[in-house]
Amino acid sequence: MKQKLIDAVLAVLAHLWLIFMVSIVLIPMLWMIMAAFTKGDALTGVPLWPDMSKFSWEHFDYVFNYSAMENAAMSDYWAAFLRTLTIAVVNLFGVVIFAVITGYTFARLRFKGKKNLLLLMMVLQMFPSFMGMLALYLLYRQFGMTNNPALLALIYTAGSIPYNTFLVRGFMRNIPKSLDESASIDGATPLQTLTKILFPLIVPIIGFIAVGAFMAPWLDYMLQSRFLREPTIATWLFNLVAGGNSAYKPLDFMAGALIIAIPIMIVQFFMQKYMVYGLTSGAEKG
Amino acid sequence: MKKKPFLSRIKAFFQDLKNNPDALTSAILSGVLMGLGQLRNKQKSKAGLFFGVFLLIVVVELLTGGYIYAFDEMSRYPALPTDTFTQINFLRDYGGLFVKGIWGLITLGQIPIMVTYRGNVTVTYNKVLTWLSADNSMTLLGNGLIALVLVSIVIAIWVFNIRDAYVTRKHQKHGEPVESGKQYFKRIWNEMFPYVILIPTLIMVLFFILIPFLFSFLLAFTNYTYRNNNLSNIVKWVGFENFTKIIVEPGWAGIFGNVVLWTVLFAISASVTCYILGMIQALIIESKYVKFKKFFRTILIVPWAVPSMVSLMVFRQAFQQDGLINKVLFQTNTMDDMVRFLTSIGLMGAPETIISWLTVFANANLTKAVIIMVNLWMGAPYFMMLITGVLTTLPKDLYEAASIDGANKWQSFSRITLPLILRATLPAIVMTFTFNFNNFGAIYFMTGGGPAIPTDLVPQSMLVTKGVPGATDILISWIYKLSFTADSQVFNMAAVYSILIFVFIGAISVFNLSRAKTLWEDD
Repeated sequence: MKQKLIDAVLAVLAHLWLIFMVSIVLIPMLWMIMAAFTKGDALTGVPLWPDMSKFSWEHFDYVFNYSAMENAAMSDYWAAFLRTLTIAVVNLFGVVIFAVITGYTFARLRFKGKKNLLLLMMVLQMFPSFMGMLALYLLYRQFGMTNNPALLALIYTAGSIPYNTFLVRGFMRNIPKSLDESASIDGATPLQTLTKILFPLIVPIIGFIAVGAFMAPWLDYMLQSRFLREPTIATWLFNLVAGGNSAYKPLDFMAGALIIAIPIMIVQFFMQKYMVYGLTSGAEKG
Repeated sequence: MKKKPFLSRIKAFFQDLKNNPDALTSAILSGVLMGLGQLRNKQKSKAGLFFGVFLLIVVVELLTGGYIYAFDEMSRYPALPTDTFTQINFLRDYGGLFVKGIWGLITLGQIPIMVTYRGNVTVTYNKVLTWLSADNSMTLLGNGLIALVLVSIVIAIWVFNIRDAYVTRKHQKHGEPVESGKQYFKRIWNEMFPYVILIPTLIMVLFFILIPFLFSFLLAFTNYTYRNNNLSNIVKWVGFENFTKIIVEPGWAGIFGNVVLWTVLFAISASVTCYILGMIQALIIESKYVKFKKFFRTILIVPWAVPSMVSLMVFRQAFQQDGLINKVLFQTNTMDDMVRFLTSIGLMGAPETIISWLTVFANANLTKAVIIMVNLWMGAPYFMMLITGVLTTLPKDLYEAASIDGANKWQSFSRITLPLILRATLPAIVMTFTFNFNNFGAIYFMTGGGPAIPTDLVPQSMLVTKGVPGATDILISWIYKLSFTADSQVFNMAAVYSILIFVFIGAISVFNLSRAKTLWEDD
């Protein structure tokens, strides 16, 4: 009897706590959504409860239609979107190609110095990316390579080679080697073995890497703010709330952020299972 | 296999040299000129290959340098006694990729813009008389590093070439079977395949990771700041001056100490709070008392899925004076209580009618607390997910055995559950700590490093640069300021701090690395 009472109290407390946490999680997001649909330009105008008299689409209109220059081919937001998309697509192909080839080499081929190269890759993974950033910036400026999204993508690609190499290598090592061996007995070259036999089997990890590579440049601020003069999604958003008085447009920011955050969140949820795999496999699995 | 001690290996090496004077001759010949030893060993194709490499280097050096113009120009443009630089610097004026590269790396340039040199005034860039272009230290440093890498590769090939000449001759002398050139090439071709397909990767890694890293590393030993951002001041090597500066000079040392203290405090508290809350959430949701587990789990994971830049900047808005938080406090009539509470626990410097969460220096501690809370909102779901995963893998029989032995719930939690969770999540904790140590976004997007420190509290020696850290700047966001504040970049100090971070993070990573041996060990 007493045990039952304690259980009941604990159950109520646990639910109360969880409801409290749920509201803490949801309130800022609901506020953000509400702000995106509020009339005017000031945060003060955002109501705490939904208020239809303050409802407006104007911030979405700003996002999709506003451009600072007259006669621009598209709105600033879409131009920024296209720039970011360029980085994402170039990075996606770069990362997949490099990770598959390098991962395959380290998983399957035997050669001198392999262990040292692997160790080098491991050490490279530790290099904080910002350390090279200043140097890359000076070098890019020197060779007039700034303000080019495709060239910026190379930095993203190179930086993620070591980590993704380990992912592909780890995945490939779980595929029995007898497959390659029988292929090479049948006269296949290493390249044929990779493309015809192994590639179909590693599609899951390639998908994981590809999604990761495609997602990386969205809302990554530091590199893009320095290497590109024209705004990307990240710098465009940042300038809306960090800019000076006339550039400070918090409600337009909410609308722009909402548009970009929703697809990213959907992908994140979809990839949830695999993300955790990726995060832990880097440290634990072989 | 146990390796012999170093000294006896050296001894054996010299003994071997003594015993094979003929092979040594071949080796020395190869040392004088690549491929010469192979020629003596009667391996023509191999000799040709090595000599080809040598020739390639010489041709590249000659073509990239101005050697062919040197003779003509030296007489036409002599150095005059009235010039600023009265000597002709041959290496600078006519050196090619390798020679000028190494020269630049050593000197970082000597001749600035708008001075007289060889009877002319130096300019930014002269296409015909390239030596009239003023030295750009950063270009020289970059080219020098590339040259250094190439030279190291050449030296490696050369050493290989010498060793090959020696070993082949030795085998020939002793009548052991020696590979013919043809066999050799066939074997090399097959063995080379892995290296050939790694070449693109290595180039990427070399040019986008290693060389930039070395470049930043070397900047720490120069005097490169906004003052010599133009060509009129040549950058100089200054040794360890910058490193002593951050410890010895009171201005830099004091500020640096504050920033490091806050960085460490932030990294620790941000990681620990996220971990603890994540664990509590996981334990509560997975406990038998909770219904709708899936619903709660799904909602509570949401912050993890929101891009962190968006959540941080939304919170930045929510904590504005007219943002969500203050509004809620007003609506619920708790603003005065909140102000009194925050002042009494010392987070607010002085009572105000409306709370400035992020922008007032007197409330710096409050701002720091807000940053940690927001980080908690974003970071706890990850650990909740991770620990929920661990909880499902816990062995049931352990608990049964424990309860048979008479352990109560607390004991079975603290003796079984907790240690198992900790062990499984330790790498993730360490990774989170290193991540937070460099969590640029959490600071930069929330506060931009602010509130700014009032100028009378900033040491005089720091005021020369606008890159003064704000009250909530951590090392990395300060480095960003030092590197990129317009017209007041202090690149060399930024590089010094980068190195310090690298050493610190590197040490932690090595610890993690030694745990994850399977990753880089071969089967």
